[in-house]
Amino acid sequence: MTCSNFLSQQQRTFIQMRTVLKVVDNSGAKKVMCIQALKGKKGARLGDTIVASVKEAMPNGKVKKGKVVYGVVVRAAMQRGRCDGSEVKFDDNAVVLVDKQGQPIGTRVFGPVPHELRKKKHVKILTLAEHIA
Amino acid sequence: MRLEKCWFCSSTVYPGHGIQFVRNDAKVFRFCRSKCHKNFKMKRNPRKVKWTKAYRRLHGKDMTQDSTFEFERKRNRPERYDRNLAENTLKAIKKIDKIRVAREERHHKLRMKGKKSKEQREAAVELEQGIHMVKAPGVLAQDQSLTLPKIKVKVSQAQTDKNQPMEE
Repeated sequence: MTCSNFLSQQQRTFIQMRTVLKVVDNSGAKKVMCIQALKGKKGARLGDTIVASVKEAMPNGKVKKGKVVYGVVVRAAMQRGRCDGSEVKFDDNAVVLVDKQGQPIGTRVFGPVPHELRKKKHVKILTLAEHIA
Repeated sequence: MRLEKCWFCSSTVYPGHGIQFVRNDAKVFRFCRSKCHKNFKMKRNPRKVKWTKAYRRLHGKDMTQDSTFEFERKRNRPERYDRNLAENTLKAIKKIDKIRVAREERHHKLRMKGKKSKEQREAAVELEQGIHMVKAPGVLAQDQSLTLPKIKVKVSQAQTDKNQPMEE
């Protein structure tokens, strides 16, 4: 067991202010930084919505750099308990940009999404997803 | 409800246990406990870790091919509930388990077959080679310095009389 293994086992926590997330739809943005986690004192988890600022964007896309957008967290490195008692966790923190009503801005979603979104009424994102974990 | 298999050690994960890790290529890894999860994070190959089922099957310690394993295949089509079917399935599970355990025992016995005779042969060879290190019991009785002196301890009768009322 080398030293690097000890460092790679981090305790993953919530998505809070200044957390950079990957954008997994084709709305134009690449990376957003969380400004506010709506609902939750400590931060956002899997399936929650956040307010974010676009830090990196594709040159011609629907959103530009510096815009303030809403997003739904579709993948979180922190484990979330499921109703059957097990826990799920993903590899990275990813978000899908939505408008104020909760409808996704983009038309495609990449990567796996959890079915916790169904309970949160984000059915549109589930239909666009290529794999539901 | 579904009983999954742990990706690392191949034991069953019952509902309410374990962690599911979804990688970005949509591959799901299920772990029965944090031991397996931590080993996975260390990027250990289960085929090289001695206590996993994968290692044991690969190195011939456990049965690989058996008809009892066919019953445990993953079925994706849900069956309509039928009380008779459920009852028969439960009975069948018990019986199949019993048969499987019996076959595994047989496999283990077969694997360990030559062990006792081999050990005895090795012990005989070792005795032959090292006989000069062992002193004969006759010599031990004659030479007092080789054995520890026997000490006789007197146990007083009065102590045992005192303990009797406490035992009641």
